[in-house]
Amino acid sequence: MTELAIKFAGVGKQYRYFTLHNIHLEVPPGQIMGLIGPNGAGKSTTIRILMGLIHQDHGEVRVLDHRMPAEQVAAKWDIGFASEDMRLYDAMTLDWHMRFIRSIYPQWDPAYAQLLLKRFGLLAEQKIRGLSHGQRVKATLLLVLARRPRLLVLDEPTTGLDPVARHEILRELSAVMNDEGRSILFSSHNTQDVEQISDQITFIDRGRIIDSMDKEAYLDRWRRLRLEAPSGIELPALPGVINIRQTGRLAVATSNEFVPGIARAYEQSGARIQMIENMTLEEIFVAKVEHSREEVEA
Amino acid sequence: MKGSVVWTLILSDLHRHRTFILFSILSGGLALVLIQVGGELPSLLGTIWFFTGMIVLGCMLPGSNVINERKKQTLPFLMSLPMSISQFTAAKIVSTFGIFFVPWLTLVITAVAFIAGHKGIPHGIIPVVIVLSTFVFVGFGLNAGAALVTESEGVMVASMIVTNSSYGFGWYMLARNPAIGAGMKSPVIVWSKEILTVLGAEFAVIVLILGLTFYFQSRKRDFV
Repeated sequence: MTELAIKFAGVGKQYRYFTLHNIHLEVPPGQIMGLIGPNGAGKSTTIRILMGLIHQDHGEVRVLDHRMPAEQVAAKWDIGFASEDMRLYDAMTLDWHMRFIRSIYPQWDPAYAQLLLKRFGLLAEQKIRGLSHGQRVKATLLLVLARRPRLLVLDEPTTGLDPVARHEILRELSAVMNDEGRSILFSSHNTQDVEQISDQITFIDRGRIIDSMDKEAYLDRWRRLRLEAPSGIELPALPGVINIRQTGRLAVATSNEFVPGIARAYEQSGARIQMIENMTLEEIFVAKVEHSREEVEA
Repeated sequence: MKGSVVWTLILSDLHRHRTFILFSILSGGLALVLIQVGGELPSLLGTIWFFTGMIVLGCMLPGSNVINERKKQTLPFLMSLPMSISQFTAAKIVSTFGIFFVPWLTLVITAVAFIAGHKGIPHGIIPVVIVLSTFVFVGFGLNAGAALVTESEGVMVASMIVTNSSYGFGWYMLARNPAIGAGMKSPVIVWSKEILTVLGAEFAVIVLILGLTFYFQSRKRDFV
């Protein structure tokens, strides 16, 4: 059996004002998992537990078949970690950081590091304090990628970047996946970035994983139906429809398990289907979060 | 492998603070030059400058090498490296104490050699210089331990206020001790029982600080 790159089983962590509830998460090798959640959803807490930086109160975490946090030293040899709140030493140059990392990781690839310097438009001799935010993120990613880790863990790496820098970074991450043995866990509240590179998507909100599946399955299953419902017609509650919003004669139904039978059922109830639309990942995410919150509050 | 990461981190800290080390040694050396000039005022100013430089180093270093890792958000970068919390603690203790120890020892040896080679200063003062310098080391150790365990700038500042206030009191108590006071005026070095007791207590406190720092760090569950 192939080992999972990441496995969370019933992981929880309690703080005074925030609780991470019973997280189950699996990332197979060779996959890019996008972890999407609003600010304060628990993405960073999940990732910090994964990295052994904070200890879970309960549950099991395995990363590259190492138990975390007990075997974090062994695991970290093969993990490249970068987060939005991670900074390099601003008084030192990028070259100093490259030599520092190279002296630790025997798998450091100097040719790839030089290639990344060129691709990212960075100067090795420049001090970190002289770099823009985008350049700092690229410098951090260079240090992570050139050590050729089996698993990349990226916590909001594209936050605050301009579109060009985001594109450069996402392109490089996609290129990294040419090596099929590698895996990436990529957290963001920017669904466009996640949609662009991920194979699998996990939604997290208020410390709970509210859904997790293959990206294509999400995009295939979710539909928005625009309906015209004459007065006096009551739209039926159908399985697979998580939300109906009606304004006068017009209604919008959101389905998370769309099948043609849903449209037929509305037509049989007297409504007219104006349009059936595919949904973007952002729209799916917002609908899922709202539905999940309604369920929890009910 | 594990040892090499710790060692790499220690060397990188030493490298980042090389200017700090050189400047501290230079500052202490200039203070001794001022004492060499002779006369009551230059000697007094030189002595104050010598110990003040050491105290300033002991106050700034924990902030620069420990607190700043959290404040400037370089801690996640370090903790992503393949090492455990206890290995990180070991590396930080060795590097922080090492960065202090290099100029401290250089200055203590230079001061002892300076006094030993100076006919106008009684050699009996040498043990007192060593005790006073070690007292500064203890104060630095307290500041560094507080910084490492709490990672709080506020706690470290409180520790600095306590240690800085204690220097004057400690030195006053030493000077008031008849045996130590008499030894200071001796033309030869006198290792009195009192001097050795104080020196032993100072080293015991340093060992205690190191032990407590490791103990509290090993109990931490959340590090970033």
